Amino acid sequence: MRIFRTLSVAALLIASLTTAAFAATKSIKVATDATWPPMEMVDANKKIVGYDIDFLNAVAKEAGVAVEFKNTAWDGIFAGLDSGQYDAIISSVTITDERKAKYDFTDAYTSIGQILIVPKTDKTSKTIADLKGKKVGSQIGTTGTMEVKKVAGVESKTYDEVGLAFEDMASGRIDGVVCDEPVAAHFALQKKEYKDKFKIVGKAFTKEGYGIVVKKGNKELVNLLNKGIKAVKAKKIDTKIHTKWVK
Amino acid sequence: MINKQSTHTPIEVGDGAAIPHKDDSGLFTAWRIAFFGAIILCLFLAFGRSEQYLAIFKFVPDGILVTFKVTIGAILLSIVFGLIAGLGRISSNRLINGTASLYVEVIRGIPLLVQLFYIYYALGRFIRIPDILSAIIAMAFCYGAYMAEIFRAGIQSIPKGQIEAALSLGMSRRQAMQQVILPQAFKVVLPPIGNEFIALLKDSSLVSILAVADLLRRGREYASETFNYFETYTVIALIYLIMTLFFSKLISLMEEKLNDGH
Repeated sequence: MRIFRTLSVAALLIASLTTAAFAATKSIKVATDATWPPMEMVDANKKIVGYDIDFLNAVAKEAGVAVEFKNTAWDGIFAGLDSGQYDAIISSVTITDERKAKYDFTDAYTSIGQILIVPKTDKTSKTIADLKGKKVGSQIGTTGTMEVKKVAGVESKTYDEVGLAFEDMASGRIDGVVCDEPVAAHFALQKKEYKDKFKIVGKAFTKEGYGIVVKKGNKELVNLLNKGIKAVKAKKIDTKIHTKWVK
Repeated sequence: MINKQSTHTPIEVGDGAAIPHKDDSGLFTAWRIAFFGAIILCLFLAFGRSEQYLAIFKFVPDGILVTFKVTIGAILLSIVFGLIAGLGRISSNRLINGTASLYVEVIRGIPLLVQLFYIYYALGRFIRIPDILSAIIAMAFCYGAYMAEIFRAGIQSIPKGQIEAALSLGMSRRQAMQQVILPQAFKVVLPPIGNEFIALLKDSSLVSILAVADLLRRGREYASETFNYFETYTVIALIYLIMTLFFSKLISLMEEKLNDGH
């Protein structure tokens, strides 16, 4: 018995000492769905990299916190925030009214738009509306899906990952994909498997801002991150990150 | 005359106790509590105070239809695959036997989810077929291997004397198989095929990963935009439960009918 008591006292002591040490630099856990290149993705070394990752690291440095990234599937990424598995989400999350009703956002840190990609064999389509009676894919629960659903007569198909939507378009099962501009550029202009098959049509047709998501009411973290975002923008670090990943 | 008594040889292929158990005849059986409880809960949720649930019930019905389409298409096609492979497994031709056995071994050794991805995207590379059909083919290809084992066991459960008797009556092997063995074997394999049907109905939810808009996919789409995860998956689970309980009852009734037929 006595040995257990001694051990537990020792454990408590160690635990309190380590928390005290960590309290000096606050650490936050951040979820990201690393299937959204070039914003967030997993590189050949299984490391999570991308625009958002560099950006948040820069913000964290300015705000004086440490960041730990957690790769999380997009479908359910908000549910994980609800249940407290992480403190924030940085995953190309567009700030929308529906999302703002349930979660808190930082200030927008970059702006993008939705854009349509079709196979090169399609010579006529310029907008989603031109694809009436056809199938258009997007990643589940994204603003892309919401845009597709707005157009009557177009069948919306949702995928767990945007990459699967592009692969299905390569197989001829769908006739278009809608996603964020930088992601579209990555898949349709840079990926060598798809470069000859797909093309981006028209201009981005929405104006959206990405924000970092935190649990409703977590004012402390929002303020901290906003402070960091301001500093990063003031120092023009974000433009450097932009040229590095988006070109 | 063929001795029909022998067709009762039981074979056991299944993944759990049958609900409802045949001897269970009380008013409050587990089946009744689960089935009617689920229906009452659904009605309560749909027409209760909160509008949220009704919205979910309105969103998912076309998904239920796709779930049925996939399940029924896959079960029919897997019976075809299973019968061919099952006959192959008992063939004395080494090539046919080897091919059928290889199919069964390979398929049973790979997780269903992995196979679905593989077949769906592999099919897409070579031929253009619509998504639901690809999902059906993928599911049927997987379940065909399990069906093959059911058919093999079913055919082998018919005593050897039967085929010998048929042959001595001057039937060819093919005739003996078609007219004597298979009709009897079919009755033996029906209950395990019923079990497979229920298992397939549940596993059909895996095709949601292939962007087939089945019940689960519709639920996930709804949840991903409204963030009502708890409410949505409660409804999805209840609908699956009602479907599987309904069909397991139907299948057990069918079995009873078949047994009465003797």
